[in-house]
Amino acid sequence: MVTLRFPADGSVLDTSLDLAEPSRVVVFGPNGAGKTTLLRLLAGTLPHGPSLESAYLPQTPYVFRGTAGWNLGLGLDAEEAARAAHLANRLRMSERLSAPARELSGGERQRLLLARTIARRRPWVLLDEPLGALDAQDRMQVARVLVEELGDRGAVIVTHDRDEAAVLGEVLAVLIDGKIRQVGPVAEVFAQPAGAEVAATLGIANLADGTVQAVDGPLCAVGVGGQTVWGVGDQPDGSHVRVFFAAESVTVFGSTDQSAGSARNRWVGTVEEIRPAGRLVEVVVDAGLPVVALLTPGSLEALSLQVGSEVAVAVKATSVRVVPA
Amino acid sequence: MAFLRELLADTVRALVSFGPELREVVWLTLFVAGTATLIGVLVGIPLGSWLALGESRIRRIWRLAVNVGMGMPPVLAGLLILILVWDDGPLGQARLLFTPAAMIIAQAFLAIPIAAGVTAAAIRGLAPAAREQLDALGLGRAATARVALAEVWPGVVAAVAAAFGRVVSEVGAVLVVGGNIAGETRVLTTAIVQEARQADFATALAFGAVLMVIALVINVFLARVESRRW
Repeated sequence: MVTLRFPADGSVLDTSLDLAEPSRVVVFGPNGAGKTTLLRLLAGTLPHGPSLESAYLPQTPYVFRGTAGWNLGLGLDAEEAARAAHLANRLRMSERLSAPARELSGGERQRLLLARTIARRRPWVLLDEPLGALDAQDRMQVARVLVEELGDRGAVIVTHDRDEAAVLGEVLAVLIDGKIRQVGPVAEVFAQPAGAEVAATLGIANLADGTVQAVDGPLCAVGVGGQTVWGVGDQPDGSHVRVFFAAESVTVFGSTDQSAGSARNRWVGTVEEIRPAGRLVEVVVDAGLPVVALLTPGSLEALSLQVGSEVAVAVKATSVRVVPA
Repeated sequence: MAFLRELLADTVRALVSFGPELREVVWLTLFVAGTATLIGVLVGIPLGSWLALGESRIRRIWRLAVNVGMGMPPVLAGLLILILVWDDGPLGQARLLFTPAAMIIAQAFLAIPIAAGVTAAAIRGLAPAAREQLDALGLGRAATARVALAEVWPGVVAAVAAAFGRVVSEVGAVLVVGGNIAGETRVLTTAIVQEARQADFATALAFGAVLMVIALVINVFLARVESRRW
């Protein structure tokens, strides 16, 4: 357990985190929760932290005057520099290394600095919103490289992005108002948020781990709790994966209604819980896997849903992400 | 009007002839101011980066000292060095009084705070993201300073220009410790004082014109260095 307090009275951050075993810990929380402060304490750029032996990438991918290649090698020894070059290649930055760093786009700067940071031979890597400056199509590819290259080293990754947390994390720590409210395996925390505040912070997401059973073009079928979930991803058959989708993308039908439109995922189950979520309503359906749907009160009434109702839920496969677990 | 016309004509004549006396004064000016600037920059720039790259009590005291030093009247700097090199002073044995060496020491004393202050201001003006990235790199102190200085390159060039401008234009310090001895310690500024006092305005103006040309050439050169792309 490392104690993380800043400033001395703990008004910004006052919590602790178990970093005894190396794993990829995602610290997830809203803006202003103290995420960056936590990372700076760990990195030792703020005083009185536990100062983990780590390589730290701050949130803003700042590059210094000089070529991209020079920036890539900054502070690295020969072995680390070779690794950085390999990483830059994987992150599609090899062609850009002779360019002045100032001419790189935000996404290119981020990929360059990720390569440099991960290349350093330190037991822990600290990343502040590592996919933040990347565009949507880059994110998943970079996330995969990150996960692979980190290997079994430890990482503390800060984000306010649910998808980023789901893709990058093994352990999820939810930070609210300077305190970690819940820590646990990612799927567990998403499935069983400890209290309304944590649930509201996480947003209503469906997330589960499973195994790829079939691959069909851009889609793969993932076995989760006896159900098959179709989603977008190119993980090989048999690989261990994580699937997730937003509650907003779930449609609920009466159980007798056979239609599901173009949705590839259609499961039948029972309503387990109905709870308010602001002006909307969350409906939790046990369909072999727990599915959370976000509905308007009007839809709830039209379907006359109650706890125990038989329903069908549908999700378009294109709304489901499949990533390496 | 006739006075001004004649003065202008005499000034031009003095410049065109560019006699050995003028040459000697110009050379000594460049030597003294150049050496003092070099010392000022070599000490001041590292001092400035040390001041800017960290927080501590000792740094705060030095920062104050540098700021005060930036505003020190040259004649006072001259007086302090005069006491130092005076025959009975701490450096009296070295027999530096009324030599170019004493002038260089006095001017370096003026140049160091300027070079340090401008450098520190430039580094402290770095974007917070740059400072954080610099901290995150975990480089040693010297390597951190090198990266920071390269990052604020125009500020470093400004520090050099400010140091040179301060010493080449000052008259108080060199006059007090050098004594304005013709052929030995006379530089452009002290020569201007001398000629003005003797109402030889044309020669004084000629010296002044040369001084401005030196300033122009140096600054054109520094502007080219500053615009160098990385």
